[in-house]
Amino acid sequence: MIELTNVTKKFGNKIAVNNFSLHIKKGSLTMFIGPSGCGKTTTLRMINRLTPYDKGNIVVNGTSINDIDPVELRRNIGYVIQEIGLFPHLTVFENIAIVPRLLKWKQKKIEQRVEELLELVTLDQSFAHKYPLQLSGGEKQRVGLARALAAEPEILLMDEPFGAIDPINRLKLQDSFLEIQEEIKKTIVFVTHDINEAIKLGDKIAIINEGNLIQYDNVSKILSDPADEFVESLLGQDRSIKALSLEKTKDFIIKDGFITVSNTESSENVKKKLQDNDIRLAFVLDEGNHLKGRFLFEKPSKTKKQKFIYDSDPWIAERQNNLNETLSKMLEAGEKQLPVVNRKKEFVGLIRLSDIFEEVNKK
Amino acid sequence: MVSVSLGFYISSRPNIAKYVINVASIMMTIPSLALYGIMVVLFAPFKLGLGIVPSISAITIYSLLPITRNTYLALNQVKPGTIEAARGIGMSNNQILWKIKIPLSIPVIMSGIRIAIVMGVSVATYASLIAAGGLGYFIFAGIGRANSTMVLVGAVLISALGIGVNYVLLKVEDWITPKGLKVKS
Repeated sequence: MIELTNVTKKFGNKIAVNNFSLHIKKGSLTMFIGPSGCGKTTTLRMINRLTPYDKGNIVVNGTSINDIDPVELRRNIGYVIQEIGLFPHLTVFENIAIVPRLLKWKQKKIEQRVEELLELVTLDQSFAHKYPLQLSGGEKQRVGLARALAAEPEILLMDEPFGAIDPINRLKLQDSFLEIQEEIKKTIVFVTHDINEAIKLGDKIAIINEGNLIQYDNVSKILSDPADEFVESLLGQDRSIKALSLEKTKDFIIKDGFITVSNTESSENVKKKLQDNDIRLAFVLDEGNHLKGRFLFEKPSKTKKQKFIYDSDPWIAERQNNLNETLSKMLEAGEKQLPVVNRKKEFVGLIRLSDIFEEVNKK
Repeated sequence: MVSVSLGFYISSRPNIAKYVINVASIMMTIPSLALYGIMVVLFAPFKLGLGIVPSISAITIYSLLPITRNTYLALNQVKPGTIEAARGIGMSNNQILWKIKIPLSIPVIMSGIRIAIVMGVSVATYASLIAAGGLGYFIFAGIGRANSTMVLVGAVLISALGIGVNYVLLKVEDWITPKGLKVKS
């Protein structure tokens, strides 16, 4: 839990942060958004005392941060910045292990923790002995996240962590980040200047402009009820479509209407199984539950004979994507239903266009 | 040693650094022979005017610039983001210096030392003129006696020493550079 009370910061005569009060709930993901120089990064840096504040008070887990030694405080708060933050002379392992080593953990425990973290951020164990120069931007960012989580801090501060990543990889990173957060439930403060990122990731959004906290609310509340013109212009014209992105694909996964078969089964067998169960769709999985293909009976029609199709590389939706993204994927694929996989590429179920429409109509 | 610590000292004090580097640059422009002369005059009152003391002083002053400047530049070329991250995850100033700054700047500091030592070898040639001996003796004695073989022997030996020292120090530089800075994807 983080509590800011009437916090003010001046740089010379310029007021960088003007009388901020906000309460950040334990386990929630709060986004700070605003134009450059609005004070969002300054506010973030005040929480781990990288920047001192002039007036007010910041309380972390019940203790005023001024009563905690800054070095001690920072070791208990994870910190992620843009990709330059990795130490180039250290391996991925050493980078992740740096805080546990500062805290004098046992070597065994450190090794175990690094292994766990690499798994969490979906990097192969072989990455442990690579150096940052050998990694792509997205991989570096995953290592940065793993490093921030190494000593199991309750709080994570992230300063535009995906800012330097290309748009396609940024979406992927956001997806896996959300899935990771779902698993670890940390209290996260995340600075961004991308409104779509803020809507997609945040539980709550704090909108900041010229040192003033304009609106601090749940994402849905901000979308439906922007505080002023500035917030409206930040959100853009397509607010109702953006609202669709608040719904998660994972909440619409269904487990019926299809069967799953092993990749060792013959297509004749599958055909028979489908006919016996009066089902038109079967997904082929390997031993690891990874999607390997799909069998489909086309819808019977008067003009054409019903076809039985096998497709070894079907379109997929990702569990962590929001409905907006899944919907556009369906439109692109021209499919009315898509198999859903998680970030480990394991098959988790099916999503149907009709269910999405139903949700839209509810609103 | 003097220069490396001077470099560390000025690395976090840009105002002083400007003067130190300027003074060191001016020293470099003094012809080496003249510097020996100055040293001899300076040390004469202490009855140390000739021999080893003024020669070593002269060589030290000459090596001041490359080492100090490289140390200064090396420590300041560490990316601010790297240091920011180190501070943000809870490293103390000492830990940042020893675990981050020094490993990342050691290659550049080392190359400053290498340049200084190789330069020192050639500057040391003149040391024989103020009775400090050394390989320079062969050259100047050879010139004095019009003995070209002797000059040649001296010149070849000094060059060989310079090249050899340079080679060895290059190896040291490579060995001391953290592996992570050498890898290519």
